[in-house]
Amino acid sequence: MYVSSTVYLVLDALGIIALRDDGSVVDKLVYDYDAQRIANMLNNIEVGKPTDELVGFINRLAKAGVSTVYVEHKELARNLTNIIKGIEIKAELPTKVGRLFREEFWSKYLKEIYGIEPIEYIKRVNEVSVIQTRLKLKQAAERRDLFIAQAINSVDDLDKVSNLVASRLREWYGIHFPELENLTRNNNEYAALVYKLGDRSNYTKSKIMEALPELGEERASRIAEAAAKSVGASIVEWDLQQIRSLAKLYLDMQTIRENLTEYIDDAMKDVAPNIRELAGSLLGARLIALAGSLMKLALMPASTIQVLGAEKALFRALRGRGRPPKHGVIFQYPDIFRAPRWQRGKIARALAAKLAIAAKADVFTGNFIAPRLKEEFMRRVQEVKTIYAKPPPRKPAAKPAAKPHGKPERKPGKK
Amino acid sequence: MSSVRAVDVKEHEKFKGVYWIEFEDGSTRLATRNLTPGKRVYGEQLINLGGVEYRVWNPYRSKLGAAIMNKLEVMPIGEGSKVLYLGAASGTTVSHVSDIVGLSGLIYSVEFSPRVFREFMQNIIDQGRLNVIPILADARYPEQYISLVKGVDVAYIDVAQPFQAKILADNADVYLVKGGYIILVIKAMSIDVTKEPSETFKREIDTIKERGFDIINMIHLEPYDVAHALVVGKRD
Repeated sequence: MYVSSTVYLVLDALGIIALRDDGSVVDKLVYDYDAQRIANMLNNIEVGKPTDELVGFINRLAKAGVSTVYVEHKELARNLTNIIKGIEIKAELPTKVGRLFREEFWSKYLKEIYGIEPIEYIKRVNEVSVIQTRLKLKQAAERRDLFIAQAINSVDDLDKVSNLVASRLREWYGIHFPELENLTRNNNEYAALVYKLGDRSNYTKSKIMEALPELGEERASRIAEAAAKSVGASIVEWDLQQIRSLAKLYLDMQTIRENLTEYIDDAMKDVAPNIRELAGSLLGARLIALAGSLMKLALMPASTIQVLGAEKALFRALRGRGRPPKHGVIFQYPDIFRAPRWQRGKIARALAAKLAIAAKADVFTGNFIAPRLKEEFMRRVQEVKTIYAKPPPRKPAAKPAAKPHGKPERKPGKK
Repeated sequence: MSSVRAVDVKEHEKFKGVYWIEFEDGSTRLATRNLTPGKRVYGEQLINLGGVEYRVWNPYRSKLGAAIMNKLEVMPIGEGSKVLYLGAASGTTVSHVSDIVGLSGLIYSVEFSPRVFREFMQNIIDQGRLNVIPILADARYPEQYISLVKGVDVAYIDVAQPFQAKILADNADVYLVKGGYIILVIKAMSIDVTKEPSETFKREIDTIKERGFDIINMIHLEPYDVAHALVVGKRD
């Protein structure tokens, strides 16, 4: 049936074509047009995974007496060789015939192979590539949410450990220079001074300024003064070395923490842009970590999101002891923790409702709707602040009463 | 955005599909004819003149726009052109190229970063630009999009990567038709910060020449972009 025993395969979005080395068509396989299915196939071919159609087509060529097939994809050729016997599959990019095919595609092959107009071909390829891209974008986002959950948990771990290390450092170095304890509350500053200056005798104003310029002249001279008059025990280099390495450990952990938060912010832009815009990247990441994955978060009702992280209080309330929690980890949202006590529950409920929508948008549609959600949320915050400006009157009965009827009295303006 | 009224529009002296909009105060701005009337891509001004809608082309946001402002001599992209665009990013320049090539043209838009490509999908695809084929892939491996891309008249590259001249040439070997053009945006800073811009430009241009292209035009993009140049090449 075939004259030539060497053929060149050309992969196209709508089919597979086999050509002789003069560019004439030997055989072709035109896919039934189903954009979704083709998009899946192309995503496989792209990473070198053979599809059933491709394997079937090459087997057909082998049966017809073709001995060598060229494919313009190295990985694909290798994987095909493992599956298909009795025919040699070679990779070359580009092949001479492939180039010719692409060069004359618009003028010649398009009509010959598919019998459709360029506009129709472009429409179909556009449709397929859009689905392909959306699939890939989704996959890129899906896996990373688990990384984000781990990263945010690492941030929390680091905070815990660095607080431990810092308090040990203060206690240990405090034997040598007890006055420094009260001169800087900031652990970062403390560790930097210990690491860079070491012995108390090094605490001159100029050296302090050099080690930590952000302290400012005034504080630097106060620390220098305190060092000169310190009542602490003297220390030798050998003892000091251990303390300094602890200080170094603290500083390193802070750097890692900074990198991690940057990483989380970047990854959140990718994975959950709506949640990030609405709640901030760190809080958003915490919610994903608590839910278990972005998908799980998206499947949660707003009421669950509202109390994520307050499970202990929630289940205590469900067992009938105590009142249900107003907020879980979303308490970290500034508008909630800065609000007066009686407004927090209302704001938390509003935020949770918007977050539930944002999570669904991030997982399912990929549309960026956060600016609208945020605007609606901010409007509700303003409303809560004006309507509930004053604390509610204390309830007379110990037992929580049934929901009061009618609207609460309007009290415009702030107190 | 200016509130000055647009009074007239003229087609660019040399390039079809590129326009100068004249404003009441005597200033002129670059523009293209909007393929999707009523829709903006990156907050650009829309101007209606004689029943046609134009999108103002901001040279500070688009390097091709900057090159045209700086008197680019050869512009291989015109109506009906098929373009392979590497480094499509969020689609600012792609949108104007899409206006220029029109519905008989086609742009294969390749971008590697999912983050910016999500924006691209919103800016370009959701707006209904049917002459754009989005491809989320790594331009260093042209075989990844072998099923989608056919012969192109122009291969354009604007990626912040070292060896971009090599990446462009590799892609041109597979997809560029005979007599096709390449356009290379060189970002000296992202290729090698330790070298002087002119040195980097030269190295990238040498790579292009070694791969069989003649340089037919080179435009520096100051003041719109510092240490950037746009190079047009051709291979027969």
